[in-house]
Amino acid sequence: MTNKLYYDLAALVIFALVIVLGVPALMGFDGFELNTFARYLALAIVSLALALSWGSAGLLNLGQAATFGMGSYAMAMHLKLKASGTALPDFMGWNNVPELPTLWIPFHSLGFTLLAGLLVPAFVGGLIAIFMFRARIAGVFVAIITLAFLVAFQLVVIEQQGITGGQNGLTGLAPLSLMGWTVDTYGIGFYYLVAGCLMAAVTLGLYLTHSKFGLILRAIREDTDRTRFFGYNVANYQTLIFCISAALAGWAGMLYTLVLEFASPTYMSVSFSLAIVIWCAVGGRDSVIAAAIGAILVNLLEGRLSDVFVEGWHLMLGVIFVLVVMFMPRGLHGLIGDLWQVLRHGTNKGRKLSSAPTMSPQPVKSGQER
Amino acid sequence: MSQLQVSNLQVDFGGLRAVDGLSFEVARGEILCLLGPNGAGKSTTLDLICGKTQPTGGSIRFEGTEISHLLEFRRARLGIGRKFQVPSVYKELTVAENMSVARSRQPGIWHALTRFALSDGHATVPILARVGLEAKADDLAGNLSHGETQWLEIAMLIAQDSRLILMDEPTAGMTIQETERTAEIFRALSASHTLIVVEHDMSFVRTVADRIVVMNRGAMLAEGTIEAIETNEDVKTAYLGH
Repeated sequence: MTNKLYYDLAALVIFALVIVLGVPALMGFDGFELNTFARYLALAIVSLALALSWGSAGLLNLGQAATFGMGSYAMAMHLKLKASGTALPDFMGWNNVPELPTLWIPFHSLGFTLLAGLLVPAFVGGLIAIFMFRARIAGVFVAIITLAFLVAFQLVVIEQQGITGGQNGLTGLAPLSLMGWTVDTYGIGFYYLVAGCLMAAVTLGLYLTHSKFGLILRAIREDTDRTRFFGYNVANYQTLIFCISAALAGWAGMLYTLVLEFASPTYMSVSFSLAIVIWCAVGGRDSVIAAAIGAILVNLLEGRLSDVFVEGWHLMLGVIFVLVVMFMPRGLHGLIGDLWQVLRHGTNKGRKLSSAPTMSPQPVKSGQER
Repeated sequence: MSQLQVSNLQVDFGGLRAVDGLSFEVARGEILCLLGPNGAGKSTTLDLICGKTQPTGGSIRFEGTEISHLLEFRRARLGIGRKFQVPSVYKELTVAENMSVARSRQPGIWHALTRFALSDGHATVPILARVGLEAKADDLAGNLSHGETQWLEIAMLIAQDSRLILMDEPTAGMTIQETERTAEIFRALSASHTLIVVEHDMSFVRTVADRIVVMNRGAMLAEGTIEAIETNEDVKTAYLGH
């Protein structure tokens, strides 16, 4: 265990050095490249958020994109108000909305916006979680319910055109002013803002997974009933990790709006939510760092592939995912762990022992991955 | 006053009455063995006491509190621990992690959030030593042998430190030496814990039991010391069928 802690701390330091020093140097401090990479870092946060609920607690949340979208719209509403000055946001005029909806008014304040971007997703996630986990819903049904919520939520956002900008989303946003600093999304300062947020999220995730809370979550994932007989209120543990995961997704959403300078209902689409699952699975859902790296790698690959194979890259991505699920069910992280065992013991005995119990008692989950 | 009072307990499984009007009491510090032929309702009785199954009638009082409709985690917090017939340890966690989960004196979220996963090591390591698993603390529980898995679950129940411990076939699959050691541990446990043990191994029962309740078809057939049970005509009939 302490070994595991050192291993994760070492991984965190290396990861931080690569993100903070390595990447900007490799990119030659080029504004466009840094902006692109900042986008990957924002997506890494939502991927690690999923690793917390899916990897630690075994709760596959297919509605992660909904809470991501909430954060993203919160930030976009603030920036849209800023861009509009005293006038009504332009799209509201096109939709014959006479005055600013009450929902929008508090988003004049940046402090409120930041809080809302974290707490609204946490609150909504918490409501769904209480409903599910009090009723002891588990396994694939969690995935179905969260997916249904995502679809319904996206529909509502698109329908309420006067408030949300409908299918077009929120565009024409002002740059963010943070304590007198106007954020230039193509500058190194913005890159470090996103990188800092990612590091904070990874540190929080590592703390949670190494705490007794994280241990109880793993126990719940493996044998929910047994954990109840030790006196743990399982529903509370599941609800809390669901809230934390939703809040982190909202946080990532806020950063994502800053990077792309608009918010769109496509952030709340099923395909985006499934993409998060893919990043998390490729990296390895057992580790928050691995899930973050998975998001960065897949998006990097996607960026490069879609330049070369405009039509075919989606297919390639799909093939990669199928291969990952079939041949490395614990992602790159699991693969590295197995290699480490082989190197240390000189045989693959250790590997067999460590990976066999991980796969066999979770037939439902490996089904979900597909 | 007795610690656990079960009175007129009933449960139906779709028409089958698995436990039918069962009443017994257990005193603090006592080791009560539940005996009976297969299907007599012994494991179901333990399920009803720990909350795995909800009764359809009757009452269960633990230290004066009616518990028959409490959720299982509430009963665990009151001081009832359970060992299952099929050893249920967390196979993907290490032995030390299993012990830390079992050490649940403060099962609240805040406590869990402010502790490292293995912060209870000072309390759990001596217990592991007692069952001879201290060298395997960092092994995955899934890699233990069957006997070691039984030991681990017993160690976990000691770590949980429940005042009433329900043991379902704790010596199944153990060697004679291991069974003897289990009997020693149980005798030591009974100084501060109450035990209800379902067991088929009669020599084990003879060593540990203060009192025996024999069940048949969901009801109590006989009750008493080992000598009284062994000479009881009804018990012979139930086991031998004539």
